[in-house]
Order: sequence, then structure tokens, then C-alpha cells
Amino acid sequence: MKLALLILEDERPVREALRRDLALFARHVRIEEAEDVPTALEVIDEIDAAGDRLALVMADHRLPGISGVDFLIGLAADDRTAAARKVLVTGQADQDDTIRAINEAGLDRYVAKPWQADALCDMIRDQLTEFVVAAGVDPLPHLAVLDAERALAIVRERGDL
Amino acid sequence: MAPEPLAGSVEEEVARGVADIAEVARIADVVEACALVAAHPERVVPLVLMAASTAQPESVDTRIATLDEQAVLRRASVLLLTDRVLHDDLSLSVDRDRLHAVMTCPWSPGILAWHARAQTVRWLSTHRPTDPRTRALVAVDGRPVAQPESDLLRLLELDTHEVATQLLAGVERVLGPRPRLLLPAGTRLIHEGVDVDAVLVVLRGRVALDHASPTGDLRLHHDSTGSVVGLLSLAQQQRAFFTARATTEVEVVHLSFEQLDRALAVDASLGAAMAAVSIRALAKRLRRADQLQVEKTQLNHVLERERQQLSEALHLLEQARLDLVEQARYATLGEMATGIAHELNNPVAAMLRATTYVGEDLERVLASHPQGRLASEIFAAERDRAPRSTREERAARRHLEAALGDIGLAQRLFDAGIEDPDRARALAADPPSLDLAEAVAGIGSAVRNLEVASRRMCELVTSLRAYARPKGEPVAGVDLHAGLEDTLRLVAHRLRDVEIERRYGDLPPIRCHPGELEQLWTNLLANARDALGDGPDGGGRIALITDAPDARHVRVQIRDNGRGIDPQVLPRVFEPRFTTKQGAVRYGLGLGLAIARRIVDAHGGTIELSSRPGCTRVTITLPVAGPPDDEDIET
Repeated sequence: MKLALLILEDERPVREALRRDLALFARHVRIEEAEDVPTALEVIDEIDAAGDRLALVMADHRLPGISGVDFLIGLAADDRTAAARKVLVTGQADQDDTIRAINEAGLDRYVAKPWQADALCDMIRDQLTEFVVAAGVDPLPHLAVLDAERALAIVRERGDL
Repeated sequence: MAPEPLAGSVEEEVARGVADIAEVARIADVVEACALVAAHPERVVPLVLMAASTAQPESVDTRIATLDEQAVLRRASVLLLTDRVLHDDLSLSVDRDRLHAVMTCPWSPGILAWHARAQTVRWLSTHRPTDPRTRALVAVDGRPVAQPESDLLRLLELDTHEVATQLLAGVERVLGPRPRLLLPAGTRLIHEGVDVDAVLVVLRGRVALDHASPTGDLRLHHDSTGSVVGLLSLAQQQRAFFTARATTEVEVVHLSFEQLDRALAVDASLGAAMAAVSIRALAKRLRRADQLQVEKTQLNHVLERERQQLSEALHLLEQARLDLVEQARYATLGEMATGIAHELNNPVAAMLRATTYVGEDLERVLASHPQGRLASEIFAAERDRAPRSTREERAARRHLEAALGDIGLAQRLFDAGIEDPDRARALAADPPSLDLAEAVAGIGSAVRNLEVASRRMCELVTSLRAYARPKGEPVAGVDLHAGLEDTLRLVAHRLRDVEIERRYGDLPPIRCHPGELEQLWTNLLANARDALGDGPDGGGRIALITDAPDARHVRVQIRDNGRGIDPQVLPRVFEPRFTTKQGAVRYGLGLGLAIARRIVDAHGGTIELSSRPGCTRVTITLPVAGPPDDEDIET
């Protein structure tokens, strides 16, 4: 089982930039991209069919015909994706949208464009760890992309080590 | 109208009073009264004498109301004869002025006769002034021949001047002839704030009453003093509230308090004249005071209305001020946007050029590299890679993963732009070449993204400048077709594969902001172009159709045969920052249709959008007369 990370972003350059910034996760985490919501739902189906777990979704705020917030709200209602960490990437969210995202979508993080690669990676690592802790996933196979200290603390508690 | 035996004695006495002018009919109740007048419609009934006693349950109001159903009786005076000490059953009759006298039963002998006669005479003089009976009873001047018995009432029927003359005559009978004083206009007869101990009988001329107030002298009364000036102040034994001033030459008689006192003591009948004079003066002044009250109320109404108008005007002013502040704010924002657009021009131009240079320089560097050919090829492929959907990319990647059996390696190769399995295997077997391929592919995609990004910024700067452009006066005589053609030329690079169909009708020249309209066409054409998608097969068509629906409007339709707009999102397309587009928003600030609507609104026109797959139509209607004068386009 692999952890999966979904990037939902309609602009190719932004998608590519995100993927390149997250390259160091790519060897251990399944990174998928989608340019619109229907594709994103297909990807989620594929991840589920392959027996992997969707651990984190990064959604652009502005998508064709739908707001990233609405998409994330939809994920919160789906059993397969409810546990996934939800990150909104935005250049323009106003306060109402942000409040809605936090209250209804259980938004975990909020990334403003343009972002700093280091901070982005730290945040992703942190969120993946949160997912592992909250979902009760065995952290050992994914240690490379987790906050090692916290992950090992779980393992120690379990008494495996 | 009374039950027996009361009716008998009433009839007897009333008959004594009115025998020479009227006939008395004795009846038991209202029903009988109505029957009687109905039977003799020619009869005139001046007076109904109605008896009311504790024995009669029917209320006076009800009985009078029944009487009033007969027109003849409705005009009659009603005299109530009652043995009750309290009546609570005649409020309606009083309210309608249908009760003319109330008498007690039993009555003093003669009083009923006298009263009936007086009422009848009064009724006749009012209702039948030409009746021969009336002429015998009433003098030519309308005054009843029978004078009131009381001095006071008799005097009150005289006019003021006459009463004053009688008073003076009485005074002179006691005191001897009084000298007449002749005073010129402007003479003050009584001084405000000074004790009054004399009265002045005005025989001729006019007098005004003034009162000093903080806002100046007020003339409260003019010629309403009565003929005896100072009587009221004297009556209250206090200082004069007014200054009485002659406004014409006046002829007066001066009577001191002592003289007046002496005259009254000697001739008691003078008291009635004094009372009459006082009552007349008071009544006149009271009327004037009431009139002043009415005037004051009317003035207050006018003032209140003016106050409301002022308050509305103030509100409008405040609104106008806020509008101005808002306009100023937008103007500032517009200037700032223009400034930013200009400032961004240079860095954007530099970025765009630098992107090209990086590509050229890298190709030169790679020429000297041992693996240069491979590297150049990968770089160029990645730089020029056509956009694909994420779905297609995912499929291609899966294909490579399946061929290589190593997901991580497949991902690296795929990211380097290698999709052919044989080539992938070869590169995978040669780690230094794979490293090089990854690096140049990275540069290639970075250069491509830089170029796309800087191009978009160029477009943003352009539209920001157009958006913030300071607005001048509308221009008259503009040829819409010329503007459309200009726009088509400007956006020609985007419309290369699109067939443009023109169906231009006859349009009058219009008054408008040509720059604004050009931006409008650009936005709409860009939208139409984007709706056509990037199908390689072509077949994309945009039609421009113009006509004049009536003499005062022109209409422009822009149609495309693209994919159409989802009916669910159609209502939202005019919202700022709403988009249906994939990937890059090609034009503007993502404010495309919002800006379009703003421009059309500011021109006083309308914009309508209808869409189904294969036919999206935007219809703009603009007034030939141009934007409303007082409403410049707000930015």
C-alpha cells in the first residue's frame, strides 16, 4: 500500500512546478495530478482500486466552474477520502471562502501562491505524518516522507521496536 | 307630541303663543307625526315640541332619528319638554345640531308659549324669509321685530360702533359732554408695560395693537381693538400687554377709571353697554387669536414640509458626496493600476526575452557536450511539448510503468519526456545519460513555463492598462464596423484557425467610448475563441452579425459553434472571477464577462447570453445616442 498525494490544478505550469517541488516525495509517495474535478474523481477511483490510500489533496482554489473549496467539501463527505488531509492552494481566496473551507471542508492547510518550496515540503511532510497518525496507518514503510521523530514515537508506543 | 293628558295642556299653551302664525297639531308619538306629514305633504312644520318623561322608554335620539326620515320634519326645530333630571339619550341629536331647546316640565305659566313663538319666528325668518307671515314678524333688515328683552343681548345685536356711541351717550348723560380728542396717526394711546387707568372711546379712525418681542415688534391685531381701547387691561387692573397705536388720525374720548366708575354707579344700565363693548372686543380679539393659531399651524405645516425637503436635499448631497469619494477612490485605483501596468512592462519584457536567451544559450552550451545531440533533442522536445490532459499523461505514464515494471524509474523517465519503452530502457541502463536527460528536460519545461507565464503577464498588463485607462468624453460619430475590424486585426494571431463570418447590416454612427468597446469586442472574441477549444480539425466558426433593431439602437451578435456553456453555470458567468475555462485564462483578469457587462451598462446598453452546445450567442444592444451624459464609465 502506498500513500497517494493528489494535485488538483488546472494550469499546467503550476502543476509542473508543484510536482517538481515535491520531487523528493515522489519515490515513496504516489503523486497524481488532475486538471479538473472529473479527472480528480477518476484518480481517486484508481487509487482506491489499486489498494492505495489517498493521504493528501492539494486543490487549487479556482477551478473551471467550481471552487476548490466545493471540491474539498465533497471529499469530506466521501468515506474513501474523508480522512485525507486537505490543502487549499490559492492566489485569491476571500474571507468567506476561507471560513467555509475551514468549517465545512475540514481544511487542514492553506497555501498562498507563490509558495516557498522548502516550506511547502515541510508542510506536506507534516500533513502526511498527521494522516498516518490519524488514520492509524503503519508508519514504517513511509518513514522517508514522514516526520521521523513523531512517526517513530508511534512505532515505539506500539512496541514494535 | 306628547301622551295625554300632558298633550292637552301643552297644546293649549303653545296655541296661545303661536295662534296668529301657526296651527298646533296634537299627536301621541313619532309614528303618528310621520303619518300626519305624509298625509299632508303641503304642510310646513317649523317646530316639533317633543315631550320626554321617565315613563317613555324610547330614547330621544331614536325618536328624532325617526322624525328625520321625513324631509318636512327634518327641517323643523325640535323643542324637548322633559320631566327628567338627567338625559343620556340625546348625544347624537346634539352632535347633529337637531336639538334647539330643552325645557323642564312642569313649566312656569307662559314660558312655553313664549318659547314656542320665539322658535317659530326664528325658524320662519331663516327658512321662509319671503313668507307673508315672516314679513309681519321680521324687520326689513332681517332683524326680528321682537327685540330681546335683556339689555345685554339687545346691545350685542348692535354693531360695535353703535354700542360705543350708546355707552358714550350714557356716560355723557352722567358726566356732561366730554371733549373729543383729535390725535394724529402714530400716536400711542396705551403703552405696553404701563399701568392702565383710563379707557379711550374711539369714535373715528383705526388703531393697531403691537407687542414687543425678542424678534422685534409684532403687530398682533389691527383694527380689532373694539371701539373702547384699554378696557381689557383695565378689567384685569394690570399693565398693558400691548401698545395701542393710532394708524390713522383718530377721534377719541378719554375716560379715566374714576369717571367711568362714577358713570356706572349713577346709571346702572351703562353696565350692560360696558359688558357688550367688552364682549364684542373680546370676541373680536379671540377670533383674531384663533385665526393666528390657525395661521401658525399652517405655517408649521409649511415649515415642516420645507424641513423635510431640506432633509431630503441634505441626504442627496451626502449621497453625492459619497459617490464623489467613491469615484475619487476608483480614479486613484485606476491610476495605480495604470502605474503598476507600466512598471510591470519592463520586467515582463525582460523576462520574456530572457526566456528566449536561456533557450538559445543552452543550445550553444549543449553543442559542445559529448551527449549534446541527445540533450538538445530532449530539451527541445520538452520546451515545445504540446499540452495534454492529465488523463492522457496518466495513461502514457501507466503504459511506461507497465513496460518497465519499475514505477519509480518510469516516473523519472516520463518526467524527462521519455515515453518510448525501448528508449527508456536504453537510458535506464546508462545512468549518466539519464541524469543529463532529466536535467535538460527540467530546463526545457522550466523555459516553456517561463515563456507561458511571461506571455500571460504581458496580456494581463495590456488588459490592466485597458481596464484602468482614464475615461474621456464619449466620442460621437463612431463607425462600429470599423471598431470591430480593428479588434479582429488585433486579435488575428489568436483567430488563425477560426473562420470569421461577417454579416454586417446598415448601422448609423453611434456615440460611445470607442476604446471601451474595442476591449468589449476583444473580450467577447477571446471568449468565443476559447469556447471553440483546440481541436486540430478546425471547423471553428465565429460569426459577427450587426443590425439596427430600431432607429435608436444598434445590435451586435457574436456567435460561436463551440462547446457551449453548461446551463447550470450560465447564470453565474457575469460574476467577477467566475470562469469556465481550462488552464490559462487567456485574457484579462478573469473578469472577462464582468468587464463586458460593466462596459455595456455604462453605455446604457444591454448584454444577453444564450448558449447550447454548438451555438453560443452574445447579443449586445447599444443606444445610438451613447452613454447617459451624467454617467461616465466608472472604473
